[in-house]
Amino acid sequence: MNILSLVPVEWKKIRRSKIFFILVLATVILWIPSILNADFNFGMQAEGISPENNFFIQGFMAMAWFIFPATMVVITVLQNQTERSNHGILKMLALPVSTAKLCMAKFIVLVSFSAIQFLMSIGMYYVSAMIAGSMQNYNFMLPPFFIFKEVGMMWASAIPMLAFFWLLAVCIQTPIFSIGIGLTSVVPSVLMINTKVWFAYPMAYPFFVITSEYGKLATNLEMDQVELIPWLPVAALITVVCLMISCIRFGQAERR
Amino acid sequence: MSFVLELRKVKRTGFLPAFLSGGILAAAVPALNMAFRSEMYVGMNAAPVNILLDANWQMMSMLNILLVVAGACILYNTEYADNAIQRMCTLPTKESTMFFGKTAVLITVSILLLMIEAVSVFGCSIHWFEESADLYMETLKNFGFFLMLMLPTILFSLVIASVSKNMWISLGIGVVCVFVATMIPSQNFVLTLFPFALPFLTLESHTADVIRNYTVAGAVETVLIALLEVMILKVRRSFE
Amino acid sequence: MNIIETKNLTKTYGGFAAVSGLNLHVPKGTVYGFLGPNGAGKSTTMKMFLGLTKPSGGSFVIDGKHFPGDRAQILKEIGSFIEAPAFYGNLTGEENLDIVRKILGLPKASVSEALEIVGLTQHRKRLARKYSLGMKQRLGLASALIGKPPILILDEPTNGLDPVGIHEIRTLIRSLPQQFVCTVLVSSHLLSEIELMADNIGILNHGRLLFEGTLDTLKRNAAAQGYPTDNLEDTFLALIDADNQQRGGAR
Repeated sequence: MNILSLVPVEWKKIRRSKIFFILVLATVILWIPSILNADFNFGMQAEGISPENNFFIQGFMAMAWFIFPATMVVITVLQNQTERSNHGILKMLALPVSTAKLCMAKFIVLVSFSAIQFLMSIGMYYVSAMIAGSMQNYNFMLPPFFIFKEVGMMWASAIPMLAFFWLLAVCIQTPIFSIGIGLTSVVPSVLMINTKVWFAYPMAYPFFVITSEYGKLATNLEMDQVELIPWLPVAALITVVCLMISCIRFGQAERR
Repeated sequence: MSFVLELRKVKRTGFLPAFLSGGILAAAVPALNMAFRSEMYVGMNAAPVNILLDANWQMMSMLNILLVVAGACILYNTEYADNAIQRMCTLPTKESTMFFGKTAVLITVSILLLMIEAVSVFGCSIHWFEESADLYMETLKNFGFFLMLMLPTILFSLVIASVSKNMWISLGIGVVCVFVATMIPSQNFVLTLFPFALPFLTLESHTADVIRNYTVAGAVETVLIALLEVMILKVRRSFE
Repeated sequence: MNIIETKNLTKTYGGFAAVSGLNLHVPKGTVYGFLGPNGAGKSTTMKMFLGLTKPSGGSFVIDGKHFPGDRAQILKEIGSFIEAPAFYGNLTGEENLDIVRKILGLPKASVSEALEIVGLTQHRKRLARKYSLGMKQRLGLASALIGKPPILILDEPTNGLDPVGIHEIRTLIRSLPQQFVCTVLVSSHLLSEIELMADNIGILNHGRLLFEGTLDTLKRNAAAQGYPTDNLEDTFLALIDADNQQRGGAR
């Protein structure tokens, strides 16, 4: 049984688990303030950013800073709860399948959820750009190629963070604590992106990427730019270590 | 009496360690911020406590609110998880007594939380800034104000936690509320009255008049939310 | 030929020995009844066979394969049902079985077959969370039987069933060796139940094996030692009681 054929099985397990509902809710809540505050976008002369760029970047900055990490934390825990609440995991452990593969298949499902959330956000972005545009009589829409490029970068940079959240959900048995630690770990990312060692803190990656894009779009703002060294090696190391520990720890508590 | 009972119920749930470690984490925020980039703040022309709070309170209060939300969920989850609440309801005590017992517990640990943070802010002021005579009073005044504005948040989180038997729903609503609160512009008086937005305010960011209004509003909200819970419990009883 | 054999199998938790020095012999193609009061170590032994818990000492061989080296191979041959039924509450009975089917790489038809065997066909579209205790139990059995594995490990499969259900499951288990050509290891704390299903029995108390053999041998031994034999339940109780006495009256 290889990992790829396990992924559909893992998809099936989270049926009716309200994960999609959470994703939709988070995305909708994210864009409502952007629509309501659309007129703010015209007062950004000091920063030197065009209204349409500002509309896009502010929305995705809010997403990267809190609502996206928070939904991912909740989803990791929900994924694990489906296994634990009715001892589903016991059945899995008694089947001829390696726990490391199960663990990785679940992680792949998590990564695809994050992709879905970003895709939904792009959809909601265009919907809200349309609504805000007709309210303000201004065209807020940006070309899809640009949007997909920016969002794709954020998504890729989020993978080490997802690996860390996955580690938390696997290793901490009490769900409220894995959620609590996950959420609190998100908060300091505002502080971390302003320091020299931001690359050591995976929760800050997507937020850092989008703020540095903000710096590029706003001519009068100086933001730290992404430097691939030492970021890439550190990020890769964090991801691999987190995933390795989770694969080792997965199902251990049920096998004492 | 019900305070002691409620305190006993959170045994081994990790409630107290969570608040202790959360408090230490929040207290570490100003210290780390200063350690990393004190040059940004030392030269500023304002009272040290205000500089520190201006730079860090946003993050510290966010941690506080998340802790309060999670704490409220834990407090009620012990009732709902194995249906203990059913037994409680068949005992000669009121559900509202239980609610206020839990409120007392949550307020107590929140005071503990704020105290740890106050010590840290105080320590940072002494370490990185010149000592000033009224530092004591300033710290006390600020954290007294924070406690006042945290009361509605505490009660509101408990209301949310008590309404749903499924902890995940309460926690989800709580997290969404926290997020909404972070999106509220701090200069809009009416919007900042949202219970989850109040703890983000600092004394320095508003004039004395506005601060007085906030203090009154916080007290009124606290009472109103308490009444709301009593009503919710009454209505729920009549439907069960 | 023995399909399951253990050698001095031991499991200790801290200072407490849940299973100590166990030597089991389960012959191929039979129903083996595993008997003992609550907490005697039946579940622990079965969990060790499935790799759900590591032995602290000793070893076991299942169909010529060793643990943990041949874990996947062993698990491919075993259908299992351990303690409280394990399932996904948010999925229907059918979807639950489908997950197990995919992992085992079985044909699609095996799901409906398993549902039919345990009599859940008409409830297959219902959420497992909403099943009654008996239906959950049947679902657990179905997920053990799916694909007709050569070895079945069933831990108290009749727990929580009504008398009719108990009778059905018993008859089913009794018929399994002929129907599927398989070996069944089934545990219970009721001798009266094991009596109706098993060819061989092993009696466990405080982690130690008190007796292993056929029912007839048990009766003969008991009579020789002066235990009551007209009612098997009494024989069992006397046997356990004598062992407890010997251990210094401690339960």
